[in-house]
Amino acid sequence: MAEKSFETASQAYRSTSSEGSPMDTPLRKVLSRIPGFASSWGKKKAPRGRRIFHRDVEEDEFQYGSSHCLSSYYSVFVARLAIMVMLAILIGLLTVLTWHFTRVYTTKSLNTLAYGLRYELLQRPILRMWNILNSTSEITTAQVKLSEYVIRRYSKPTDQAEQIEQLYQMMKDITWALFASRKALNAITINYRNGFVQAFHRDHRSNNTFYIYSNLANYSISDTESYDDKMQSSRQGWNDQFIHGNVSAIWYRQPLDPVTGEKKGKPSQIPPEDLINIAGPSQVPDGVASWHVAVSKYTDSPLLSAALPVWDASNTSIVAVVGVTTALYSVGQLMKELVEVHSGYIYLTSQEGYLLATSTNTPLLNNTAKGPKLMMAVNSEDRVIRMGAQWLQKTYGNKFPPGHVVHVEKANLGGQHYYIDSFFLNLKRLPIVGVIIIPRKYIMGKVDERALKTLVILISASVCILVIGCVCILILTNGVSKEMKLRAELISHLDARRRAEASSNYKSQFLANMSHELRTPMAAVIGLLDILICDDCLTNEQYAMVTQIRKCSTALLRLLNNILDLSKVESGKLVLEEAEFDLGRELEGLVDMFSVQCINHNVETVLDLSDDIPKVVRGDSARVVQVFANLISNSIKFTTSGHIVLRGWCENPNVSSDSGKFSPDQKKPLSALKTKLKQHGNHMKKASKKDNKMILWFEVDDTGCGIDPSKWESVFESFEQADPSTTRTHGGTGLGLCIVRTLVNKMGGEIKVVRKNGQGTLMRLFLLLSTPADGIEQGRIDFAKHSVAVILALHGSMGRLIMSKWLLKNGVPTLEASEWNELTQILHELFHARTTNSAFDTHYSPAKPVRSKVQTLQDMKNPVYIIVVDLGLLDLSTGIWKEQLNFLDKYSGQVKFAWMLNHDTSNAIKMELRRKGHILMVNKPLYKAKMLHILEAVIKESCVEPQDRSPNVTKGTLKQSDSHECLEIDSTQFETCSSDESDISEMTGANSVSSARTGEQPKEGTVLKSSPPTLRNCLVEFTRLGLEANNLRTEEDECNGRFKLHNTKDVKCENPDSSEQPSFTSNAKDRDDSYTTNKAANEQKSLQGLRILLAEDTPVLQRVATIMLEKMGAVVVAVGDGLQAVEALNCVPDGDEYRTNRLQTEICDSPPYDLILMDCQMPMMDGYEATKAIRKSEERTGWHIPIVALTAHAMSSDKEKCLEVGMDAYLTKPVDYKLMVSTILALTKRSADQRLTQ
Amino acid sequence: MEVVQIQRNLVDYTKSLFMEGFLDGQFLQLQQLQDESNPDFVAEVVSLFFDDSQKLLNELTIALDQPIVDFKKVDAHVHQLKGSSSSIGAQKVKNACIAFRNFCEVQNIEGCLTCLQQVKLEYYLAKNKFETLFRLEQQIVASGGSIPMIEMGF
Repeated sequence: MAEKSFETASQAYRSTSSEGSPMDTPLRKVLSRIPGFASSWGKKKAPRGRRIFHRDVEEDEFQYGSSHCLSSYYSVFVARLAIMVMLAILIGLLTVLTWHFTRVYTTKSLNTLAYGLRYELLQRPILRMWNILNSTSEITTAQVKLSEYVIRRYSKPTDQAEQIEQLYQMMKDITWALFASRKALNAITINYRNGFVQAFHRDHRSNNTFYIYSNLANYSISDTESYDDKMQSSRQGWNDQFIHGNVSAIWYRQPLDPVTGEKKGKPSQIPPEDLINIAGPSQVPDGVASWHVAVSKYTDSPLLSAALPVWDASNTSIVAVVGVTTALYSVGQLMKELVEVHSGYIYLTSQEGYLLATSTNTPLLNNTAKGPKLMMAVNSEDRVIRMGAQWLQKTYGNKFPPGHVVHVEKANLGGQHYYIDSFFLNLKRLPIVGVIIIPRKYIMGKVDERALKTLVILISASVCILVIGCVCILILTNGVSKEMKLRAELISHLDARRRAEASSNYKSQFLANMSHELRTPMAAVIGLLDILICDDCLTNEQYAMVTQIRKCSTALLRLLNNILDLSKVESGKLVLEEAEFDLGRELEGLVDMFSVQCINHNVETVLDLSDDIPKVVRGDSARVVQVFANLISNSIKFTTSGHIVLRGWCENPNVSSDSGKFSPDQKKPLSALKTKLKQHGNHMKKASKKDNKMILWFEVDDTGCGIDPSKWESVFESFEQADPSTTRTHGGTGLGLCIVRTLVNKMGGEIKVVRKNGQGTLMRLFLLLSTPADGIEQGRIDFAKHSVAVILALHGSMGRLIMSKWLLKNGVPTLEASEWNELTQILHELFHARTTNSAFDTHYSPAKPVRSKVQTLQDMKNPVYIIVVDLGLLDLSTGIWKEQLNFLDKYSGQVKFAWMLNHDTSNAIKMELRRKGHILMVNKPLYKAKMLHILEAVIKESCVEPQDRSPNVTKGTLKQSDSHECLEIDSTQFETCSSDESDISEMTGANSVSSARTGEQPKEGTVLKSSPPTLRNCLVEFTRLGLEANNLRTEEDECNGRFKLHNTKDVKCENPDSSEQPSFTSNAKDRDDSYTTNKAANEQKSLQGLRILLAEDTPVLQRVATIMLEKMGAVVVAVGDGLQAVEALNCVPDGDEYRTNRLQTEICDSPPYDLILMDCQMPMMDGYEATKAIRKSEERTGWHIPIVALTAHAMSSDKEKCLEVGMDAYLTKPVDYKLMVSTILALTKRSADQRLTQ
Repeated sequence: MEVVQIQRNLVDYTKSLFMEGFLDGQFLQLQQLQDESNPDFVAEVVSLFFDDSQKLLNELTIALDQPIVDFKKVDAHVHQLKGSSSSIGAQKVKNACIAFRNFCEVQNIEGCLTCLQQVKLEYYLAKNKFETLFRLEQQIVASGGSIPMIEMGF
């Protein structure tokens, strides 16, 4: 279905693209490929569904299935989609969560680590700084303490100059010792109150050590008071003076050995304050230690200098100021080392923002005109440091967070991210801020990168998983959906099957009802016709018509039954009956029936059966007739002019058939078929020897439109017609030939269309029918002995030809005439030629062959001429026919006329013919049996005539019989119903013939010899009429089961006073007595003396049936259910009446009832059970009480069920009066016969 | 009213019954069975039918009222009703029974109940018709006429 929709879609695509410009073919290709792919996909998905749809035949079934599957497909599709979406959501969530948590935790831990690292990094330079500060302060303190000690020692102003000289020497030594112990020191200075300065300086760049001193301007150190006062009065002034006062002093620099402190060179004079900062008293204004950062000309790094005053012994005045200077260079060095690995930056600033140390090599000092000055961090030449400082300033301004501690993880400096951390080192007088800038890249850079990669990998992995999951879902759900589809199909199939079963159930129900519904009105029609037939006041014609209607109705009823049974044929449940029947008569009846139809069509229907066809065969007569009826009606349908020939011949597999009489074209296929049969020939021969099987060949040959050879096989299919347009013109369902073939095959035969010369169709079939074991009677009248000659004056050329052939074969010379003139010619030839010689010859000059034939006829001795004249030869449209009749009348003495009448021949003509003494009249068409009748009648008449020539006697007797006679022969036309009916009519026909010879006993012997067997039987019966009536029963049983009501008829015939005449009329009425309708009063008591047990639970039916049976003289015992019926049988009724009757008439050990009527559905014990019980109990006694089933079901299957349990017959409700009587009689008679034979 | 008039009425009425499909040929057969030995045969059978049918209908009503309907039993009852109604020629009752049985076969309770109503309706209709018929006949007998045989006019 999906495929279908896709295909339509692709078609639409193609159509639209083809409608568009033809130049864009590549686009079109692509367009057409997409639906193509889709369709192939669809194909893959739904191959199973497609297969199943192919199997389906019904269109709407298909529709139903496709729509059903479409919806199921969509539901499956939606379900899949939903599952996939859920999967996608799940996987997406998982991915995001994983990524998020990974990232968060990584970042957090890394951040912690990085923080630690940064802290550590920053901590170490600060610690170093701290160290430096500490050591500086320690040195300073130590220097101060030593100085104090030394000065106190030498403070006694004894020998001032000497002492001072010693003091200075001592101070120099101590200071050197301290200076030498600390390599990191840049300089130590001692500035005495008197302005003398001692200093050691170490130049790190040149690695030289210098001793710097000023010349001694004032050796006294004791004028401290004045100094103090001065200092106290104006500090600034002192300071300035102190410095400027020293300007006058001369400074010397003496290089020293850096290790030993030995003087190495001459002291050189240097400008004051040139080299180093000398801490003066200005730096310790309040007598406490002070720190400050200084710059020097000769170092490019800032210097940290500490100053501490040296107090005198009384601790009241400052004697000197000790200054210690340390270069911060080493801190910068350390920072560089630290940070190098991380490519970060560290710098230290003072609280004001002046750079103290950086990890870079950029200069820290600003060379201005006034000498080097400290640089602000924001002005640093290093880009990163500058930007970091700027960023910090911009972010925080002057309002740093308390403690100056800042941690920034993502500061954007010139397009790159950095970590910025700052620490605050709160030294008294010298607070220091440390800032570390590390590019984020170096710590988190990998992490960021990794995070991105991880994200990409995660996403791709999840996409992969999603895809795989989708595929898996597809695969899994495909299996599931396949199963679902299969289940859906299964369910729909089960549903369809259930519906089909229900509908077939309805169908059988319908049939059951229909059979019931149809039979009832038909039974009514037939019953009413019976009543009408019994009416006295009917004219013969009316009587004939009613009889005809009656027979047609019976045929219709049979047809109805056939239609109902057809369903059985279709379902293959047909069981063929096996009964003896007269094949020839059945076919004759068929041809008679169809010839009526053909007259309007200008088509001749001809029956051509060869003589070797057995008269009686065993088989299913109804089916055989159905086969031929279908074939012939089919032929009639398609034949507008010409003829339809039903040929039949026999091939006995035991005997090599004498095919001399077959025309050559018939022989050929026969031999072909013989070879075909050879394969199972041996087997068949054995079988046929045992069963006496015969192969009967038939052909239905018409001159219709013919069938195209390509359709020869298919015409036998259901609903198949050679030309579809025929339904319009001819109607029909196309089932006929199918049924024919089914039936023929069922009978062990075959049917096919055979090529024929000329126009039309030739259907050939063979049937395998068995013949009764008692042999085939081939007794035929030898017509040659009787010297009869026949002139066939018939219209239809085919029928005439066949008839004349047959007559010639049987030794009857034949002349043919197709029109009036020919007939007159022949008559002239025959009769006038004898009297008025050749003069006539010249007049009429008959054709040579006719003449020669005429002459052969003339050679016969005392021939009896029979002229079979088609009434159609006469000119009926005008009055000429009367003259023609008169003309023929002239020959009535010499010839016998047999008239072929049409079905619509008017009564006036019939009357006229009868008036003129033409008593032999048969209806068209002419076939063997009719011809035989004619011949026999004529022969007998000719036998009678010489004996009793008086015409009035003959005419008188014949007058009585002729009306019947013509009906007799006609009546065979309608005997399509059953063979025993036709037997009866034949018998009566023979009776009439025999009765025509009133009192011809002496001749009877000869007739007996020559008459056909049925005739003989009847004659035997007649001769014994005068004998005991009781014996007649056995006689009748010999006469092929004509047992039905003959006892009553025989009783009548037994009447001694009845002449032949009344018995004859009664016979005539008995023609229709197969349904035992006779208005004779004694019919009513036909069941006289029978004891019938009626088992019926419905009170109404019980009452009705009881009255019905009692009305006919039966004694009825009614019981309510099967159990009672069985009980009633077990205890023999003790009514004296029955007992005495029984003792009188029958042997003692006979059963208590003659017959049981058994309803099938009863409470307690139903009919089937009861029958079984009865049959079981009968085994002891050896009786067989006939049991007749009564049921409301009218299907044959019920019948079979009834017969299966041991019932003998079967009647349907409502009970048909006559049918019931006939059934009962048949059964009781049979049992009576059995008893007799016992 | 004259006897002849009543007789004609009877004939017309009977014919109308046939025309309307209440009766069928079976009723005629019944009438034919009536003779001197069984002068009230038809009336007897018809009253038998009514008694029987009433009983069956009651049983059917009870059977179909059960929570679990025994369709076999119902079917047997309907079958019996069908048999008896067809035997007296009450065609419409019989047809209703046929429909009823079809529903029984497929075990359709709704259909069965509907059909039971239908059968009951037909039954009462038929009963009325028959009663009218017999009343007419009695009138004829009472006024000394003979019951005319119905012609086969359907």
